[in-house]
Amino acid sequence: MSALDSLVLTRVSERCWHAVGDDRVIGRGEVSPRPDGRSFLSIDVWRDDVFERLAATMLPELPRPLYTVVDEADADLTSRWRDVGFSVRRREWECLVPTAAARPSGIAVIAPEEEPLTELDRVVRAEVDWQEMPAELLGPGVVDPSLYSVAVRDGRYAGLIRVTHVNRLPRIGLIAVRADSRRRGVGRALLGHALGSLHERGITVASAELNESNTAAVALFDGFGARRVGSNLELVLR
Amino acid sequence: MAKTGIEVEGTVVECLRDAKFKVELANGHHVLAHISGKIRRNYIRILPFDRVLVEVNPYDLNRGRILFRYRN
Repeated sequence: MSALDSLVLTRVSERCWHAVGDDRVIGRGEVSPRPDGRSFLSIDVWRDDVFERLAATMLPELPRPLYTVVDEADADLTSRWRDVGFSVRRREWECLVPTAAARPSGIAVIAPEEEPLTELDRVVRAEVDWQEMPAELLGPGVVDPSLYSVAVRDGRYAGLIRVTHVNRLPRIGLIAVRADSRRRGVGRALLGHALGSLHERGITVASAELNESNTAAVALFDGFGARRVGSNLELVLR
Repeated sequence: MAKTGIEVEGTVVECLRDAKFKVELANGHHVLAHISGKIRRNYIRILPFDRVLVEVNPYDLNRGRILFRYRN
């Protein structure tokens, strides 16, 4: 009898399922709620044929819509999710952008103070679609000023940029401009400042993820020589 | 209780094109690993030299799954 013949699928907790064959866990499925209310799934298996069995057990027990994320280069995994009914909701490009000495932009970019930064963060969150925010920013967490720079326009914070993992591969995790300050070079000033600061530290490249449908962000990063090195797909089952 | 895979620490030595990674385990053995769904869900980026926890495939000891990335 093969492991698949003897497969036992069990919901071992509210968010986790196991597929057990030959007394061994050969598949694991999990559902994870995000602060924005969406549920993300993952299924890890050691045998391809177990994926479909786990999905068939999990999906009827979960409320729709359900989401998952795949690396687009992983054609096998993408295909498995499609086979059980998921479709592409959006694509996010993984980019590398070269650093360079900052050029004068005419817009002051400074290290922020906590209170007005928190206020700007609140405004930005109210203006953008939460589901388009980076995963680590979805929660109502404390804003750490040390990770941010802000652009000042007409005496108030007009935009922000968040750079993390500076000692690893720096990641530009968020760049956002108040709705009433867009199309005035604020985003370009923020990105130029961040890349210039990294350049001064001897760092040659930073990473960023860009939503394919955010044409303004794609154009901004393209203008700084960003190179696409991969892509993630967010899939949905409605 | 059902057995789970063997979990071993290793170091990423190469990021391959098809969303897979070559990982050198503490005993010098190399495995071809993909990332777990949990890592993917949380957009955790894996880079060369990262120390990781790998679950080795019980059906093929040359393959595995990256479960966790340690803070270097």
